[in-house]
Amino acid sequence: MKKTMGLSLLAFSSLFAEAELDAIKGQLKQQQVIMQNLQEKVLQLTNQNQAKEQNKFDVQMAQNSDSSSSFSQNAYLPDIALILNMSAVGRNVKNSEYANYAIPGFIDSGDAELPFNKNRGFNLNYAEVAMHSTVDPYFDAFAIFHLHPDALEIEEAFVRTRALPYGLKIKAGKFKSSFGRINSMHQHAWNFDAQPIVYEAFFGPDSISDPGIQLQWVAPTDTYLMAGIEALQGTNDRSFGDTEQSNLFVAYLKTSVDIGDDLSILGGISLAHGKNTIANATDVYGMDLTLREQLGSYSSLVWQSEYLYRNKDIGVSNDKQAGLYSEFIYHVDRNYSGGIRYDGIVQNNTDLSVGYTGVNTDNLDKYTLMLEYKPFPMSRIRLEYTHDRTKVINGQRKDINEVMMTLNIAAGAHGAHSY
Amino acid sequence: MKKLLLSVLLTTLAFASMEVDTTYSTLGAVAQKIGGDLVHVTVLGSPKYDPHFIVPKPSLLSKLRRADLLIINGGGLEIGFLPPLIINANNANIQPGAKGFLDMSHFIDLIDKPASVSRGFGDIHANGNPHYSTDPYTILVMAKVISKKLSLLDPKNAKNYRTNLSNFLQEWDAYLLHFDAKMAICKDKKVIEYHELFNYFLKRYGFTSYGDIEPLPGIAPSSKHTIELIHTIKDNGIKIILQDVYHEKRTAEFIASKTGAKVALIPHDVGAVKSADTLENFYNTIAEQICH
Repeated sequence: MKKTMGLSLLAFSSLFAEAELDAIKGQLKQQQVIMQNLQEKVLQLTNQNQAKEQNKFDVQMAQNSDSSSSFSQNAYLPDIALILNMSAVGRNVKNSEYANYAIPGFIDSGDAELPFNKNRGFNLNYAEVAMHSTVDPYFDAFAIFHLHPDALEIEEAFVRTRALPYGLKIKAGKFKSSFGRINSMHQHAWNFDAQPIVYEAFFGPDSISDPGIQLQWVAPTDTYLMAGIEALQGTNDRSFGDTEQSNLFVAYLKTSVDIGDDLSILGGISLAHGKNTIANATDVYGMDLTLREQLGSYSSLVWQSEYLYRNKDIGVSNDKQAGLYSEFIYHVDRNYSGGIRYDGIVQNNTDLSVGYTGVNTDNLDKYTLMLEYKPFPMSRIRLEYTHDRTKVINGQRKDINEVMMTLNIAAGAHGAHSY
Repeated sequence: MKKLLLSVLLTTLAFASMEVDTTYSTLGAVAQKIGGDLVHVTVLGSPKYDPHFIVPKPSLLSKLRRADLLIINGGGLEIGFLPPLIINANNANIQPGAKGFLDMSHFIDLIDKPASVSRGFGDIHANGNPHYSTDPYTILVMAKVISKKLSLLDPKNAKNYRTNLSNFLQEWDAYLLHFDAKMAICKDKKVIEYHELFNYFLKRYGFTSYGDIEPLPGIAPSSKHTIELIHTIKDNGIKIILQDVYHEKRTAEFIASKTGAKVALIPHDVGAVKSADTLENFYNTIAEQICH
């Protein structure tokens, strides 16, 4: 029994073995066919790829055979912006008379500089080209070329450090001093087109702007605290102007606190010490305060004020004069704003007997109303009414009424403004 | 003076950890997850305001002055307020190009890149739409990039940042699984927006935006454009108007009253509305607003 079983098992297994061999042979053949197919496919694809690459190469050759841009530095071009400012003016004073206005104690008849909005009718105030570029890891460069209809002026041109430690930064070149609140701002960034009378009286239309060097330090504190000192040439002859050597030093301290998310307060004190002749010194002290309450993304209330006091040694005596401005702006939404400003001279201790005998020289002040429409952040149309009681025209105190419409645009790569 | 010096000294001691500033709150929330106790995060721009027009308050200067790392959204979103702040903060660490300056947009594939660039088309973003934070998947990218950056700046704690990252990624992957499931049952996929703030979210979950309430980016609505939009809504059976927290709401409500569409208030960043107080709740709020 056992033997039969064993034999038959043997027969079975040999039969099975044969069948298995056949099956494997069959599979092998199949695999060979698959291999062959795959090889053909690979060959085909390789050829295709080569053709494609050749094609791509041909296209690249065709496109890039012009190698004239190999040393192109277009990517390093500075940011360039064009700022245009123009106006239409109505005024109850003839142009020839207005050009010779005097402000008693500050500007004598014929001495006024009037770079902006001088004429009744139309004015092109300026075309400004602003350029900014990072020079290297250590310096930024910045320049503003101010083109009046009949003059080209380098309004600012300076280098600024990027990588100083300890919260320090140095600026060198010609620049607007950071004295006070609006001294460092350009005309197109002011809330009103006319310069506050105290700035015009003390410094003229360019404010404190000179070749020199500036060092600023921001304290590593929770509360913003910034201190700065500047050494400047002091060419501004309204207050300084000693031509024998650099004579002007400016120092200031600024701080800011927030009350809640929406109210921010910025305050500062400033000092400018210079010489109006080689022997005589001038000191100007400034205080400024700005409150800004944010009502929404595009809506805010701003109250900004400055007070300036000047002690000018004129040899025989000291002129002690002071003035201030206070302005209130309501930004209704992203298109509309309105504002009012009071500015004036509040102290005028100087000899007014020459040229102003019989002329009332009290209460030199000015009231301005402003309405503004901004179709877009880059353009601004502004309507202003000014009642100006600061001027003497043809030897007579004259109240000047002025209506002015200004258009300002900033095209191209114009950087954001500071607070 | 002594008191001042002392308080300066104390502040420096108290914040021996990394000072990380972010321009917006979603970036800040991710930085906090990755940095944990090792970082002190300051968000510069309040989420209740238009991210394009954050007011450059001087107090922000004192925050930037002490930052070891500044993380910006990039894509041009901060161009209107941040550059002067960076300059005047006098902090070499965070100048563009320095180690402590991180532009997150460089790690994101920006969509809607305009074929040609001119301000004649309004306030467009030349590099593409910068509002990528509304896509919950970008959180993964932000987390990885921030972990890498913190490890480079603070190598002795690199291990902690990596651990925080892997924990957070696990957490966020699980969240996304749930979130995707929640969005999958959302059927109505036609919307209009005020500004193209939500395009990344819409793209991720297959929504189609049929138009914007503002006629051009950054330009206030006009009656002509609004009337066209009302026709578009009626013709296409659109039921949802995506309103953000900082634009005026009158136009959207007017369109809603004329068409029967619903105005959905959608947060654009963590904290823009009360219910969006965490990263998770930020996206949950978007989902709830957009899907119901």
